[in-house]
Order: sequence, then structure tokens, then C-alpha cells
Amino acid sequence: MNLAEGVQIVSFGILAVMMLGAALGVVLLNQIVYSAFLLGGVFMSISGLYILLNADFVAAAQILIYVGAVNVLILFAIMLVNKKEEFKPVRNRWIRQGATALVCVGLLALLSTMVLATPWAVDTTTVNASSTIIQIGKHFFSDFLLPFELASVLLLMAMVGAIILARRDFIPERKATTTEVETALTLPERPRELSGS
Amino acid sequence: MDFSSTVASQLNAGVILPEGLVIITLMVVLVGDIILGRNASRQLSYVAIAGLLGSVVALYFQWDNSQTIGFLGGFNGDNLSIVFRGTIVLSTAFTILMSIRYIQQSGTALAEFVSILLTATLGAMFLCGANDLVMIFLSLETLSISSYLLTGYTKRDPRSNEAALKYLLIGAASSAIFLYGVSLLYGLSGGEIRLDAIAAQLTDLSSGQSLGVAIALVFAIAGIAFKISAVPFHQWTPDVYEGSPTPVVAFLSVGSKAAGFALAIRLLVTVFGQVTPEWQFIFTALAVLSMILGNVVALAQTSMKRMLAYSSIAQAGFVMIGLVAGSDDGYASMVFYLFIYLFMNLGAFTCVILFSLRTGTDQIAEYSGLYQKDPLLTLALSICLLSLGGIPPLAGFFGKIYLFWVGWQAGLYGLVLLGLVTSVVSIYYYIRVVKMMVVKEPHEMSDTVKNYPPIRWNLPGMRPLQVGLVLSLVATTLAGILSNPLFNLANSSISNSSVFQTASTPVILSESIINRQSLSE
Amino acid sequence: MNSGIDLQGSFIQSLQQLGIPPEIAKIFWLPLPMVLMVIGAVVGVLVSVWLERKISAAAQQRIGPEFAGPLGVLQPVADGLKLVFKEDIVPAQADNWLFTLGPVLVVIPVILSFLIVPFGQNLLITDLNVGIFLWISLSSIAPIGLLMSGYASNNKYSLLGGLRAAAQSISYEIPLALAVLAVAMMSNSLSTIDIVQQQSGYGILGWNVWRQPVGFLIFWIAALAECERLPFDLPEAEEELVAGYQTEYAGMRFALFYVGSYINLVLSALIVAILYLGGWEFPIPLDSLAGWLGISETTPWLQVVTASLGIIMTVLKAYFLVFIAVLLRWTLPRVRIDQLLNLGWKFLLPVALVNLLLTAGLKLAFPIAFGG
Repeated sequence: MNLAEGVQIVSFGILAVMMLGAALGVVLLNQIVYSAFLLGGVFMSISGLYILLNADFVAAAQILIYVGAVNVLILFAIMLVNKKEEFKPVRNRWIRQGATALVCVGLLALLSTMVLATPWAVDTTTVNASSTIIQIGKHFFSDFLLPFELASVLLLMAMVGAIILARRDFIPERKATTTEVETALTLPERPRELSGS
Repeated sequence: MDFSSTVASQLNAGVILPEGLVIITLMVVLVGDIILGRNASRQLSYVAIAGLLGSVVALYFQWDNSQTIGFLGGFNGDNLSIVFRGTIVLSTAFTILMSIRYIQQSGTALAEFVSILLTATLGAMFLCGANDLVMIFLSLETLSISSYLLTGYTKRDPRSNEAALKYLLIGAASSAIFLYGVSLLYGLSGGEIRLDAIAAQLTDLSSGQSLGVAIALVFAIAGIAFKISAVPFHQWTPDVYEGSPTPVVAFLSVGSKAAGFALAIRLLVTVFGQVTPEWQFIFTALAVLSMILGNVVALAQTSMKRMLAYSSIAQAGFVMIGLVAGSDDGYASMVFYLFIYLFMNLGAFTCVILFSLRTGTDQIAEYSGLYQKDPLLTLALSICLLSLGGIPPLAGFFGKIYLFWVGWQAGLYGLVLLGLVTSVVSIYYYIRVVKMMVVKEPHEMSDTVKNYPPIRWNLPGMRPLQVGLVLSLVATTLAGILSNPLFNLANSSISNSSVFQTASTPVILSESIINRQSLSE
Repeated sequence: MNSGIDLQGSFIQSLQQLGIPPEIAKIFWLPLPMVLMVIGAVVGVLVSVWLERKISAAAQQRIGPEFAGPLGVLQPVADGLKLVFKEDIVPAQADNWLFTLGPVLVVIPVILSFLIVPFGQNLLITDLNVGIFLWISLSSIAPIGLLMSGYASNNKYSLLGGLRAAAQSISYEIPLALAVLAVAMMSNSLSTIDIVQQQSGYGILGWNVWRQPVGFLIFWIAALAECERLPFDLPEAEEELVAGYQTEYAGMRFALFYVGSYINLVLSALIVAILYLGGWEFPIPLDSLAGWLGISETTPWLQVVTASLGIIMTVLKAYFLVFIAVLLRWTLPRVRIDQLLNLGWKFLLPVALVNLLLTAGLKLAFPIAFGG
């Protein structure tokens, strides 16, 4: 084993432990802010794994998008809704937690059996790592052209939709005189409790 | 020849012409709304309908196209996908017809609603023809995200918020599961993303691959079953149907469901051809549960939208019989039934919208005695509901008979018998509504109907509703009697599609794909 | 093309001559440039703090620091020593872990970004493929640290400051990235080395600032906002928020923020110099100068001169920009938060998009001038 391989194995170990630890923290910690910060840790460790896979552009994009945008937005949401609320302790909570743990461990066992039992078809051809961006660009404009373009439509519409849901709307006054139902940004059907009469 | 012209010569971009028309329409609506302002939004929705009809025309001209593979294997525009895409486009056109008045009355912006709806259509259309894993996932997400946005569109209504949130959370979870299953396929096939290439790699199931394939299958089915709201992945359906704007419900129940079935057929037949008995078994279970639960729970509903929600779960169960049958006839019967389901279900929803716009309620009890006040609405709703229940000579009867006949041919006696029994149950709750509307004496009329406003079709946005109502009424009535062309259409769409031949013949599409090695240089 | 001097190669070679195997020699080499760069960054901070004080004083017709050393050059050192010995206070009910981690998370990405800053053909730590993109993505980690310290301080002003800082950072990252994208499109690469080399050959006329004047302005404005310099220092606007997310910090933890902000300023100035002002290039092309004088490119002393001139040019350009930033501080009033966001989203973003489109069009039309 030469130097490079040793470094790779050690860094893989460190990154994997970091990622698993942070991910467990996201799920198990009680305070949601810690979970959110640890999520950033998960994303960063994943980016480290990408670097080990020679995918430098993907690693940088992972940090830019997931840590720099997604995680910051999550934190924003948490900090803007900084509402302390004491929840009533659920009785027999341990039963639920135990059942959840059981299901999760079962799934883990199943998936690990599958991972170990399957002869994975590994692509052994090495790609010239010096030009990952050019590779990605060529794929974007050949066999991934259609998904690439569809993604732009998807993102445009997600943006439009987010603005519609978030913007401050002019709320029309309800006119009682018209023959038909007119509502202010609500469904025309009355809620069930009111419509009993 | 340089890279771009090499790629451009192999793209065969013409296969997505219908989708291209939808995208152009989408842009026209979006930009037109910015330029012209809110007053023009009704005209823009007519533009959208025109664009959708243009897309149908484009689909018609692609029928029996010899070059179906486009975008280097990313998209397959064969006849099967054309039929499903046509169903989806038509359902969107109907949905826009019925949403103009509804959305304007609720005070929300119409043009944005139409453009999000068009995006959902686009996602659903691409899903029908998607031929590689990336494309499948991306179009699925386009459809889902637009659906979440539409569900929460009446944003000051807590029911709508609840529906959107529920749909989003459950949908995200199911997408994640689906993605996990699909990523397993990518790994098992050694890094292939095109469906036929994956199928070619998954031939050797004895040597340890079987567990991986089984898990991939189960996870993929979980994602699909969520889209077609099969029991036990149906929990979102009633709440989402109740809380969403009704035109959205109409689209979700037809367009989105058709896309889900198209995905199911393509993915299961192409990739999981080796494990056909397994997925047929899973779908048998899903069909049994859907038919029983959907029909039985629908009996107890008091709200029209919730009742239609459970009825749509049950209808998905019926359609799954065709999938389980696994023969060409089976798939043809699915296509046929979905096409008929489009008209009868959208017709029913048009009536529900009309009633709730005039009275502000969708309680079944409030419909009593409607016959005296609004005969057209009563007639249309009765016809559509009876057709949904499968009463001859309406269209739904022929659809069901075809499904059951195919199931019987395939030896699925238990499933067909169960379908027959639950159909009888469903007739009960459909007829209950009809009886409520027609039979009641004038003094039994509900207060809402007593205060029924005078019928005016000349109000802005009412005319398209009327057009949609009459069209679906005519189609539901006549499609049964004149169903022969539809039969032929469905059959030829199946028999001419490459999907069902790849199982027997080796992959012959590879010459149109540029060599991966030449790309990676 | 002049390949410059290969320090790594000669270092490893000389160690090998001492009888050390090449792998071990490489291990010896690895930390050297990094340590050098960190030292350089710290010295850069000291210099810019001193500059800031002196120029501010000159702008206000004061003298500024004068007792510590000649012209007060030791004043920043004294400041730093003071901060080291100050008591490190953690406010009551603050979250101790996050309170410590916040400033660390702000500083580390900034220092890491020095990985890709070139001072010459071979004078950088690593010539990454993704080059400038690494800087953009690393700078997006900083808001997490700011939010963390704002939250952990258990102080309303801190939280508001942290939120403002994150909002500002996210908003201005987009025009920044778009401006960089236009440059990357012209150089057909994200690597900082390639970007500088694409500007070489015509001396000062070949610099990107002439081809990308709009991009240059957008980038500079966005970079100032990313560094939270006036007129964009809203997160620590003293009239409104005491000191924003820094309010509760003292001692070494405060020093981390302080050092971080100045390193970030120097780094941004360096990146502007690389992207738009020709990096290590001399205003007159040195190669052709040597050619006229009849000196071979491979002459050792010429290579040494070129390399040192390259370092000097890069640093000079960067400090010129720091000088402008300090002057701006005393000439422009602070913008309001809504003005800040409006400027970012409604002005810079569309202009940056148009700039990108224009660059693409020009690249197709005049491939010689705009990088074929």
C-alpha cells in the first residue's frame, strides 16, 4: 500500500464516521437547531466522499447547494419560527420508539444483507480525472440533454410557485350580493362543521 | 464533425414536439400574464387550451412513427406513450375549462394556476415516454412538485394548507423510496440508466442478484403505488382531495394517475420482466385491497369530494386487473379504461364544481331535489356517476367489461369475481347520489337547493364550464356505444409499441446511441 | 509559454540528493506551502488593518496610529496581543458549543480558499480543476457559522445580525457567481491559472477588466457585500444592532471574527486581481520585453525575477483594491436592508444575467477577442 492509498482509506474512514455520527445526531437529538447544524455536517462529509471519488465539481456543487443554500434556508426557517412549545409527554412513548427502532434495524439488516449478497457490477474503466467538468458538460449536452432542459422548467415553476405561496396577496372582499359563491383565497366549499345546517 | 453536430444529428428531437408545444404555451401564458396583467388571464387560459389541442394534433401525427427513440435513448415516443400523453393532455384541457370560473371566484391568480397546471402536464407527459432512470425521476418530480403547489393554491384555507403539507411530506417520502429502488437498479446493472440496457444486464438472477432486484422492485412499486394511490399507499388521497381546489382534484385523479400507470407499465414490463410473477403478485394484493377498501369506505362518505376520492382509489384497483393480467389485451384494456375514465370522472368533477360554485357546499345530502332546479346538472352528474358505476349502456360499462374479460382470460378468477362484487357495492353509493337528486319530492328539498340561484351561463368563465360539461356528457354517453375505434386505438397502441417486444427480441436500439466511449474521450 | 520555476520539483530533487526517498520527500514538501500561505494571510491581515487605520485617519484628517513602531506599523500586532490576553466571556445561557464553533466555521473556509490563489505560474498550493468554483462554494459555508454564532449568543441583536448576514451572503452570492461564470466562459476553464494565462500576452490591454467592465463592477460590489464591508456592513450596523452577531464575543473568539473578516477582504481583493486585473501579469508583457532585450526565457535569474515580480504584482493589485475598499468606507453611507436586497435581487442579478448572455454572444461573434 503506497502513501496515496493509505491517505484515501484513512480519510474514507474519517468521513464515513463523521457522516454516520452527524446523521444519527440529526435523527436522535431533541433540539431541532442541533439537528439542522448537524445536517450541514452530513452534507459536508458527503462532499468529502465525492472528492475521494475524484468528482471534484460535484463535491464543490454539493457544498454550494446543500450547505450554502438548502441548509441555510432550513436554519432560517427554524430561527424565524423560534417558538418554544412544551409538548405533553406521550404515554408509553417507549413502545413507539422501540417499534420504530425495530423496524429501522430490520430494514438495515435487510439492506445490508442485500448489499453483501449482491455481486455488484463494478465499472473498472478509469476516467481521466483531469477534466471532470468537460465530461459533465458533454453529458449534459448529449445523453442527459432532455433531463437537463426539463430541470430548468421544473426550477422555473418551483420558483413561480414559491413566490405565489409566499407573496402578500390582495385579499378581495367577499361580496354577498352575487348569485354565486365568492371567496377570498379559500375553497368555495364550506368546511364540514359549518355545512351541517 | 465536432461534438455539437454529432449530437444534433442523433437527437431525433421531433419526438418531443407535443411537449415542446406545451412548453411554448407555458411560456406564452407566463410572459403574457406579466405583460397583459390580470385582466387578460381568461384569454390566456383559452390560449393554453389551444396549445394543448395543438399538442394533441402533434401527437396524432406521431402515431406509428418509425423513429420513436429520441434524445439518445432518454425518451421513447412509441404509440403506448402517445396514447397516455393524449389522455393527459386532454384531461388538462378539460381541467382548464372547469377551472376558469372556479379559480377566479376564489380570488386567486388564474394565469399562474394554468401555468403550474401546464408544468404538471409536462411532467406527466415526459413520465409517459421516459426511457431512462434520470428522466423518469425528474419528470416524476416535475409532476409531483407542481401537484403540491396546485394543492395548496387556495392558500388562506387551512384545509388546503393541510392537504398541501400532507401531500408534500408523503410524496417526498415516497419519492425518496422510489429513488432508492431505482438507484439499486443503477448499481445492479453496473451503471446503466436506460431501461432496456438495465433489462439486458439483469438477466442472471440466480447468482445473488435476486435479493437486490426484489428490493428494487418493492421500492419502485411503493413509489408508483403512491402516484396511483393504491391501498395501502392511499392515506393522502381523501384529505388531499378534500382540501385541494376541485379542478386540481380532477387533474390528480385522471392525469396524474394515467402518468403513474404509464410509468408502471414501462418500468415493470421493461426492467422487471424477469420477475413478472413477483410484481404481478404484489399488484394483485394492491388491487384487492384497493377495490375492497375504496368501495367500502366510499359508502360512508358524506362529502362528494371525499366520496370521489375513495371511488378513484377503487377505480385504480379495477385498472390494476389489466396490469396483473400481463397480456397485450390487459394493457390495452387499461388504456381503454383510463381513456373512458377521463371523460366520466372529469364530467363528474365538472358537476361538483358547478354545484359548489352555485351553493358553496359539496355535501351529498345537500344535493337532494336538485332535479327540480337544475335538470342539466342533474342529468350530467347522474350519467357520469352511473358510468363510473358501470351501468350499461354507458361508457364505463364497456371499460369494465373489457377489464374483467381480460382478467378472466388470464385466469384471474378470484380477482375478477371480487371486482364484480365490489362493482355492485360501488353502484350502491353512486346511485345513492342519483336517487338523492332525482327521486326526492319538492318538500324534501334541502335548504341549499331551495335557495338555488338562477342559472346563468353568460357569467364570465361559465361558458367553458358548460362546454366541458356537455362534452364530457356526450363522450360518456356515446363512447360506450361507439367504442370500436377506441378499442382499435388501444389495441394498436399496445401491439405497435417496442416495449412489449423487447422481452422477446434482443436490444436493437443501440446503433442510435452514441458510443459512451467516444463521449468520455 | 514560460512555465516559470518548479519549486516543488527542485525541493524534492534536493531532498532526494540527501538520500531521502521521493515519497517521504513529498510528505516533507506538503505542509510547506500551506504554512507559508497561512503566514502570508496573517501578515496580509496585519498589513490591511494598519492600512485601514492609516487611510481612515487620512480620510478624516487625523494622524492615526503613530507610537507603536515607525508610522505605527506595530499597532495591529498590539491589537492582536490585546485580544489574546483578554478574558474570554461566554454569556449566561449561551450555547457553549455552538458559540465556539461559530467563529471557527467562519474562518476556516476563508483560509481554505487560499488553496487556489496563484502568485505565479507554479506559485500556488494546488491548481484545481474547479478552481474559482471552490472559492464560491467555500464562501457559502460562512453563513452557517454566522447563523450559528448569532443563535448561540442568546441575544436578539446577535440573532438578527446573524440572519441578516446569512440573507445578505446568499443574495449576493448569485450575482457574484454569474460574474465569475462570464469570466470562466471566456477562459474555457475554472482554474485560476488558466484564467490568468488567458489574460496574458498583451500586457495591461489583455486584462479582463476591459472585456468585462460590467462583470468587474458587479463582482466588486458583490464581493464587498460578501465581506460585509461598508456600505454593506448591515449585519454589524452599530446604530441598529450594537454589533450584530459579534455583540457577545470577546477575546480570542472575537479575534477569529476580526481576522476572518480581514482575511476575507484580502482574499476577495486577490480574487478580483486574478479574475479581472491579470493576476501576476506585469502591465507590460515580460516575455516580449525579454525577447526584445535578447534574453532567453529559460535564464535562471530571469525566472527568479519574473516570479518575484509576479508575487509583487499580485499583492500590489490586491492592496490597491483594499485601498479602494477603505476609501469607499468613508465615502458611502450605509444602505438599508431593503435597499440592500433590492439592489442584489432586482438590479445586480438581472444585470449579471444580461452580462453573461452578452459575453456568450460576443464569444460566438468574436472568438479571438473573447476566448474561442
